[in-house]
Amino acid sequence: MTKTREYGRSRLVRLAATATAGAALLAACSTTTGGDDADASGASGDVTAAGTYPIESLDPHGAQGASTGTQLAGQQIFSRLVKPDPDGTLKGDLATAWKPNKAVTAWTFTLRDGVTFSDGSPLDADDVVASFQRMISLNGPNAGNFPVSTMKKTSATQVVLSSPAPDASVPGKLGTFYVIPSGVGKDDSAYFNHPVGSGPFTVDAFTPGESLVLVPNKKYAGNKPAPRRVTVRNIPELSARMTALRTGEVDILWGIPDDQLASLKGEKNLTVRTVPSSAEFTMWFNSSTPALKDAKVRKAIWQAVDFKTIIDKLYPETGRAADAPVTGVVLGHVPQPPVAYDAAAAKSALTDAGFDFSKKLRLQFANAEFRPFIQAVVSDLQKIGVKADPLEKEQATFTEDLIALKWDINFQQLATPSYDAASNLGRLYTCEANRNGYCNKQLDALLASAGATADKQKRTDLYGRASAIIWRDAVGMYPMSVSIAYAWNSDLKGFTPDASGLPDFATVGTGGS
Amino acid sequence: MADIAAAPEQLVKAAPPRTRRRLLSRVPHLVVGLYLLVALAGPLLIDYDPVHTSLTDRLLAPGSETSTGATAWFGTDGLGRDVLAQIVYGARTSVLIGASTVAISCLVGVVLGAVAGYFRGGVDAVLARVFDILLAFPAILLAIVIAGAFERSVLLVVVALSATGWITFARVTRGVALTIRERPWVDAARVLGVPGRSILVRHVLPFTAGPIVALATLEFALVVLAEAGLSFLGIGLPASTVSWGQTISNGKEYLEGQWWISTLPGIALSFLIINVGILGDQLTARHRRGRTD
Repeated sequence: MTKTREYGRSRLVRLAATATAGAALLAACSTTTGGDDADASGASGDVTAAGTYPIESLDPHGAQGASTGTQLAGQQIFSRLVKPDPDGTLKGDLATAWKPNKAVTAWTFTLRDGVTFSDGSPLDADDVVASFQRMISLNGPNAGNFPVSTMKKTSATQVVLSSPAPDASVPGKLGTFYVIPSGVGKDDSAYFNHPVGSGPFTVDAFTPGESLVLVPNKKYAGNKPAPRRVTVRNIPELSARMTALRTGEVDILWGIPDDQLASLKGEKNLTVRTVPSSAEFTMWFNSSTPALKDAKVRKAIWQAVDFKTIIDKLYPETGRAADAPVTGVVLGHVPQPPVAYDAAAAKSALTDAGFDFSKKLRLQFANAEFRPFIQAVVSDLQKIGVKADPLEKEQATFTEDLIALKWDINFQQLATPSYDAASNLGRLYTCEANRNGYCNKQLDALLASAGATADKQKRTDLYGRASAIIWRDAVGMYPMSVSIAYAWNSDLKGFTPDASGLPDFATVGTGGS
Repeated sequence: MADIAAAPEQLVKAAPPRTRRRLLSRVPHLVVGLYLLVALAGPLLIDYDPVHTSLTDRLLAPGSETSTGATAWFGTDGLGRDVLAQIVYGARTSVLIGASTVAISCLVGVVLGAVAGYFRGGVDAVLARVFDILLAFPAILLAIVIAGAFERSVLLVVVALSATGWITFARVTRGVALTIRERPWVDAARVLGVPGRSILVRHVLPFTAGPIVALATLEFALVVLAEAGLSFLGIGLPASTVSWGQTISNGKEYLEGQWWISTLPGIALSFLIINVGILGDQLTARHRRGRTD
């Protein structure tokens, strides 16, 4: 009886071992098959990209409209009146020409003839006006660029954007305004599952937060997109993204952390490049929180963090100490005096200001890639007795809480896709915008003046003065200007790394196609 | 014929001596005891602040010297924090959460199971259906929902894991109580007019001790694993509480070059789970032997 049981057990062990070996073999086979598929698809004109941010929504006017994921999707699917080149220069997209009136209170845009949506219906001034009105009525983050502006159709191919106050930055700010057909409702999920646009691509499939599959828009007015199919995948885990790039499952990857760059540079079939971007690590203080109302307190907290060491150690290749609320590539950048690390002075200033050291500050952020940076900041704050609770939030929750000011310190990698300080400083720092609880009438006036002149030098000077106030009052901490690291399959042709982290896939061709 | 005769002798010689087997069977006890010792005394010997980072010491290999002159025996992570210290402090967190969760689950499960099994009737019908319904719900999913919905803390993780942990205890206790309530000495006590609560405490519950202890041991391993899973996902415990799951998660981006960050706490976790599992099996076998005898 015992022998029978032992025999049975050993048989079971053999069976289990065989099953395990079989499973391993199958797994190995499936990996190889996946790689072959990827190779085959690559050769037939398919491009797969994996960015660092998920695409949660395709609605460019909604609450997610300013998120990197939605912007990336938007520029592939929809057209804009104007759009920036990878170097920030504005060029016409739907508009062939644009000019302001003398007072810079009204901008006239002349639309391109013969543009149609992907369903064949013509795109005209009515669609542009309806899209603008929809964006304003939804009151998403992009609507903040045009708080009191109105758009009117003056002819079938001409629209006028008017604002009560002069606004020279209108063309730059329109870089985040996308045109959709008129008649799309405020919450039209059926439309946004398969949106009709006039961009280079149309949507073949979309799973929020996971993947977006694009195919060329046959009705596109510009040059025919080179790839047959573009898949933008969200692979949350960095190691999985890196593996996907190495195995050929993904062709283009960006937002690669410094620690991983060295190993990628050693890969023969990959091209690795780092480009300075318009993005900056921005850590707003919630000035409406009683503990952070005093500018001296905010400045002392900034002074307490050794950002230079953090950047040197964590971001030796993609980080550079920031010297203004916007980066050097943005119009309106004027360097400010550096805030030197001095923990003792910070502690003393906080004590003098009556700061409550027992209160824990809520430091909110999204995306695990920033976790080490946040932990290093929290560690430095703890050294002078300031307690901070790092709260890592899912992207949608983060955005909701950001707007509702449910935080004490907010971390964002804030890009300026228009390359104009108007869409960063002018949009986010006014009393009306109330994005960080800070309100300063003098700053409002400077930002309004900067937006009212078309003279670039004057605008730069005015934004410089506005930056000085933001810097002096420590509306936030501005530790680092970000470069974006891209890596792509060397077989790809025509790929240009974009400084905003929003690459254009229309020009990307595969070697074998 | 001679060969046939010799075979049993060889088998006898090849078989391990009884004392050796007994010593081997003690290994899980020793290992689990060692973990408990590390969890209790380790934090007194090794100083560690989970919030403090030392960027100059980041990604040091095991055995390297840190900027303070100390030796990082298990290396450091991406923020320069000592991996050995994280394992030691993580052991304390795991043992604390494991023991607390099992204690709460055991208390709730045994009481409800005993009541359902002994009193039967409507109480049993309702409670047994509740057990069945809750057992059908994925335990880890419920734990994720609970842990994700509230502010992170050790207490929250204990509550989240206890929410479904008690059901197995309740079912086992109910089964034992259903059997024991029909035994002659329980009938005798009833006939003599001993109150139901006293019969339950004196004559029924003692018989549940064997299977419950064995079950508690196995449940402990599952709870430790579940807690590590929640921490790995970034829910449950706050960043200021060290957990093996968090340490493993912190190292997953460095698996290629700095394997020690995830691998060493992973080995510590696996080793504990395996040994607790074997210990649980031994206790179950001992209980069965005792019942057969």
